[in-house]
Amino acid sequence: MSQIEIRDVAIEYKKPKSEESFVAIQGVSLSIEKGSFVTIVGSSGCGKSTLLLALAGLIECSRGSIRVEGKDVTGPGKDRAMVFQDASLLPWRSVHGNVRFALELQRWKRDDIDERAARFVRMVGLGNFADYHPHQLSGGMRQRVNIARALAVDPQVLLMDEPFGALDAQTREVMGDELLRIWERDKKTAVFVTHSIDEAIFLGDRVVVMGRNPGHIRDVVEIDLPRPRTAAMLDSPSFIEYRRKLRDYISADMQALHMVEDIA
Amino acid sequence: MTRIFKKHQALISGIISFAVLLLIWQFAVDFGYIKAFFVSSPSRVAVEFWRQLQSGEVRDNMAVSLYEFAVGLSLAVTVGGMLGVMAGWSRTIEYVLEPFIWFKYSSPTIAFYPLFIAWLGLGEPTIIAIAFIFALTPIYANTLSGIKNVDQDLVRAAISFGARPHDLFLKVTLPGSVPILIAGLRLAVGRALTGVIAAELFGATAGLGYSIAFYGQKLKTNEMMVSLVLVVILGVIFTQLLSLLESATDAWRPNVDR
Repeated sequence: MSQIEIRDVAIEYKKPKSEESFVAIQGVSLSIEKGSFVTIVGSSGCGKSTLLLALAGLIECSRGSIRVEGKDVTGPGKDRAMVFQDASLLPWRSVHGNVRFALELQRWKRDDIDERAARFVRMVGLGNFADYHPHQLSGGMRQRVNIARALAVDPQVLLMDEPFGALDAQTREVMGDELLRIWERDKKTAVFVTHSIDEAIFLGDRVVVMGRNPGHIRDVVEIDLPRPRTAAMLDSPSFIEYRRKLRDYISADMQALHMVEDIA
Repeated sequence: MTRIFKKHQALISGIISFAVLLLIWQFAVDFGYIKAFFVSSPSRVAVEFWRQLQSGEVRDNMAVSLYEFAVGLSLAVTVGGMLGVMAGWSRTIEYVLEPFIWFKYSSPTIAFYPLFIAWLGLGEPTIIAIAFIFALTPIYANTLSGIKNVDQDLVRAAISFGARPHDLFLKVTLPGSVPILIAGLRLAVGRALTGVIAAELFGATAGLGYSIAFYGQKLKTNEMMVSLVLVVILGVIFTQLLSLLESATDAWRPNVDR
């Protein structure tokens, strides 16, 4: 059995101030092996973030089940840690303090907390910035803190919700490299949501392509590129082939949407 | 020289304009343009201040007013803070308290003064009660708004790491509300001082407000001016202290990074 088993999951939201509900995702099934890096890609509104939040235990499934290590997900747990898009760092705490925060919440032993937080701050290359506050950092540095915070609590599964979505293209590439470098050390299972096709291919062992109306999985593409991944691979024939395939899926999804809008 | 001036421009300009005012005040009285009876004069106030300092009047009045101020403010912080937290925690409690807050905001509280005298008698308890009532609303309102406006992104991140309700309160909501709590405290300090002085004007046997009313009724302007000046100085000192506290606790906010 895989480490993560998602079986026929549907998630419905109640629309505010009405009885109607909105189906975010439907009929989603997916197995994720321990130690693999899975990326989820899709146009906006395909429910990829919703699926990730459900994995994190932050929203409930309306139907179906999500199991991690054989146990049903009923809420947040120490086996999973989340890296958010941005602005989820406590502005009044330093870099070190923000990493500490997660350890405090999970009741790590007082004696270990400071040293452990410092270690993970160094690991993401912010050793000299431990006393800085988030507003003094660049977007890329803030996301490094976010990653350090999630890894410090030693989760089984690392969940990332468009962590580099707010960064410029160059920083984004650097952060992708960096993330893989860190990930290769102990290969924790990683689920990474993005809307960038290149990012999805570059990072993932498998790319899950999602479509919308309602959100569903269109295909799961195995990425057969050797690791460690390098920037040179971005121009390799197989990368270009993956890119073409994924782009076809997503543009078909966009066209479907335009047709719906034209009729309406 | 110019650099020092530029750096402290506000302070230096302020001191100069204030000094000019004092000089005009002094000379206008000395050269007979205005009668000392109406406005006293800086030198007369200084002489009278020295006398009241020696006689212990300054000390006694200050002690009484500061005591009433401190008790009234502490009560307001305790009660207002607790009510604010409760209202932030439960919608029902917020709605239950709302009419009283509206009422307090829209009516001149000092009009209830005679009622307080009827309940608590003339003197200290009534003055403390007035200071308390004056300072209560900003504490309550700012505590409530601090708790309600906690950043939901931070709450979600904390929950994802397994935060329990008391973790959320102590590690996210409370520290995130500090700036607005301090802003509430600053308002409350000004209002508590106003409450003490206003209440002392009418029914007290000691205190700065009492001294102002006492000498005022006897038309002794110089004597009255001493307490008046002291009240102004106290107000300035309190506000400045709170501003310092505000900027010390606000440093993490990007938009106040000076």
